[in-house]
Amino acid sequence: MFSRLLLLFLFSWIWGTLAATPSHEQIVGDFFNKNGASGGSTSNHTNNWAVLVCSSRYWFNYRHMANALGMYRTVKRLGIPDSNIILMLADDAACNARNRFPGSVYANPGRGLDLYGDNIEVDYRGYEVTVENFIRVLTGRMEPSVPRSKRLLSDASSNIFVYMTGHGGNEFLKFQDNEEISAFDIADAFEQMWQKKRYNEIFFMIDTCQANTMYSKFYSPNILATGSSKLDQNSYSYENDNDLGISVIDRFTHYVLEFMERINKTSHESMADLFAYYDPVKIHSDPGVRSDLFRRPLSEVRITDFLGGVAQVEVGEGVPVDSSAVAAAQEEDEWPLQGESPAVPPVLPVAEDTRERVGDLGGGWRGMRAWGGVLLIGGLVGWVGFRS
Amino acid sequence: MRTLRFLWVLGLLPPCYCRYFSGETFSEELVIRPLPDGKVASRFEFTTLLHGATPRNPQNLSVEDHSQHYTLFPLALGQILREYAVTELHLTLNAGKWNYDRWGYPEESDVATGASLWAWMAEGSGSASAANARHRVDARWRDLRNALAGLFCASIASLDEQRTTSPGRAFTPVGALPAWPASVQHAFRHASLPSENVCTENLTPFLKLLPCKSLSGLAHLLNPHRLFDADWHGMGLHVSWRPNEGVQVRLTFQSVSDPLRAGGNSRDWSLRLLFDRVVDRACPVAASSRIIVTLPTKELYSVHPEPSSVVDGRGAFDLSDQSFPLDLRLRWAEPFQHATVPSAEAPLSVRRMLRGSAQDHGALAISITNPDSDPVSVVYLETLPWIVYLYLSTLELSVGGVRRPDLLQDISYIAPVPHGRAATLEAFLSLPARSTVTLHIGVGRSFLRYTEHPPDAQRGWDLPGAVVALLPAASGNQSSATDSTNKGAMQEMKKWNQPQRIYTPALLVDPATPDFSMPYNVIIFTCSLIAFIFGSVFNGLTRRFVVLKSPE
Repeated sequence: MFSRLLLLFLFSWIWGTLAATPSHEQIVGDFFNKNGASGGSTSNHTNNWAVLVCSSRYWFNYRHMANALGMYRTVKRLGIPDSNIILMLADDAACNARNRFPGSVYANPGRGLDLYGDNIEVDYRGYEVTVENFIRVLTGRMEPSVPRSKRLLSDASSNIFVYMTGHGGNEFLKFQDNEEISAFDIADAFEQMWQKKRYNEIFFMIDTCQANTMYSKFYSPNILATGSSKLDQNSYSYENDNDLGISVIDRFTHYVLEFMERINKTSHESMADLFAYYDPVKIHSDPGVRSDLFRRPLSEVRITDFLGGVAQVEVGEGVPVDSSAVAAAQEEDEWPLQGESPAVPPVLPVAEDTRERVGDLGGGWRGMRAWGGVLLIGGLVGWVGFRS
Repeated sequence: MRTLRFLWVLGLLPPCYCRYFSGETFSEELVIRPLPDGKVASRFEFTTLLHGATPRNPQNLSVEDHSQHYTLFPLALGQILREYAVTELHLTLNAGKWNYDRWGYPEESDVATGASLWAWMAEGSGSASAANARHRVDARWRDLRNALAGLFCASIASLDEQRTTSPGRAFTPVGALPAWPASVQHAFRHASLPSENVCTENLTPFLKLLPCKSLSGLAHLLNPHRLFDADWHGMGLHVSWRPNEGVQVRLTFQSVSDPLRAGGNSRDWSLRLLFDRVVDRACPVAASSRIIVTLPTKELYSVHPEPSSVVDGRGAFDLSDQSFPLDLRLRWAEPFQHATVPSAEAPLSVRRMLRGSAQDHGALAISITNPDSDPVSVVYLETLPWIVYLYLSTLELSVGGVRRPDLLQDISYIAPVPHGRAATLEAFLSLPARSTVTLHIGVGRSFLRYTEHPPDAQRGWDLPGAVVALLPAASGNQSSATDSTNKGAMQEMKKWNQPQRIYTPALLVDPATPDFSMPYNVIIFTCSLIAFIFGSVFNGLTRRFVVLKSPE
């Protein structure tokens, strides 16, 4: 009788200890939810990628290249570095012989803002923008010799922003007037990515004619999609520039970029705000949203979860800084002149790490309980062994 | 006592020169040359020398390489060079047509349109085991192309075996090839893509290979909005090994700008006018930073600021004793008189044409004019993609209408393999004094498969330019070297010990393009026909017409 009670107590003790130990997933989730609980994002991604595709060539499709470059500038401005952006431009608009303003691509009729700038990296250009290369980028199945800058090196906690623009139709998008990609192809590529754990969440945006049909075939989880026009509707260009002689941007992308101009890295605007900003009267077509595969409510999804490179940061207590060391560092800022020895950077004093480690939950107490359980089992075994 | 004993160690420490960063030297130079027709040719050169380094021996590719720690030498490039054991590498990305008749010889002689890549790589281990298949020259060439395509954001990866050739004589190494054992012979690979666009995305990684990027020094003048507006522009990467010095990386950017189009009212130019920027400060890590301007000899001019020194008609401005911001200005006193290069100093003039209006055959005609009073020997190189093949039996050489087969010696021809390999034709040509030599070859055009056409098939295919390489060693060329109007180019030739190469512009050949909508048409037509036939037969067999009486 007493031994049975003891065994019962032992089992309940061990089970209680195990249940109270927070698992790794819980520790990570607590970290992210801490920020989410205070009214911030509920996302649990750790890095951001962007795949921006302009699939049309020729000078008169300048506006498609301007669309993609406008998105490129926005995601760069919001913090995604060039190494995490795959930009595919099917033709060269900036240095085209027909371009009156070499080295520049403009997205508004008055030519106010140059989207090309001085610091741009185009990963796939010209004839390299094909359906095969696009699907290889998404699925990651490439020759070993393909360089890093052309690879989508995402993992299970990456949020990916996929933007496509060009000429399209009912469940297809034309690539360079030569071949097509269908909605089924993209849906299957996303499913491959899900199976291979290559994304946490995907935001898919497409600006073509009948764009909403392109996302109608997705079936993988965690995909949020938006398109510029529904079935049997065209998407229209915005305005022409009289000196360039062609349309410089499409309406849907223009209004999306107009919304994005108000966003910076610390903005809390959500996807629901973006979708509420759509005005079919101004866009001249009915943009659509597909969120049934997306598990979070749209009002909690921040724009910067997809278009920005904003990291989750836990702010600790301030580290006391030796002000004299800082002043000395500022004095030695200029390059050493010939004959002087190179400056040694001052070592700032490191404060003790006084924060409690997350998930430790009084680690000493847990250790004591574990040892207590071991001693109990040892005692029981010894009692059983030396009985009788 | 102990401290005194260790003091002698201090004597061993070499004096620390801060600009001599652990065995690397960086220097930059800008050469500006006003051209006879009013334009301005400028050439930026950024040289980084890694002292004491040698190229990697491909026999050691399976052994892990030593770690690379550079201060000024670009790490991204160093990793590529060591990973694929490249001894010498040249990459040029040019756009436009260099007009030799008006502008003379360029400072950098490799002005082929589009992307050109050539390299000397030694053979890896010769055995055929799987691990070593990656070390063979062709596998390393492919991987090198892909790595450079990623580094420079250019479509260099498409320079595949259909565009790769190995001409033996027109290209000679600029530096030295290490004297490894005879089993490790150096192989040469050359490929070019004339239809490549050059734009800001190629300049961005170029600037990132420089120690000062584009923030200070002469690289600050590289403004893409002005450079890509030039009449001709091209960038180059040249890696070579100098036996007594080390591995040298030379990054160059050449352009021909038009001051009239850039906003001035005359051919007076300044750095602000040409580049829309001035030199704000010198690059702190540059061992030497100079601007060299070819000063006019026959006209009145004024240059501001004063050059540090004038040597041989060229004023040198050393940035270490100039005040910043530095805006160089050259003004002429008299109005502009248009001139071309005088015929006594003109370079060889080469023209290449594709004749014939039929779509399956034609003729390639090349005419080379030698204005000199001495005969000249050149190497003539033609690399053509397989869509155009030469009928070598129809090769004719004539001077002034008279057939002169003796002028063409030592022809080397590698026939093209359809859908596989490009054609290479290399020959020695002797050009008599003051004459025009015409070469005429019949060509055929291949029939391409439906899937081999590029997306803009109606534009046609670009044929890379022919290369006419002047041989500096031949005694017959010495006089032409001294008479040339471009002393700077001839000095470059001697400095880097490479032949002057003349490139013809790219030609456009349009093969027969199919009607790309035909597969769709055939499918629709066939399906309709089958539907009609099947439907009629089916209805005829299964449908019965019965007469019904109306219930009236």
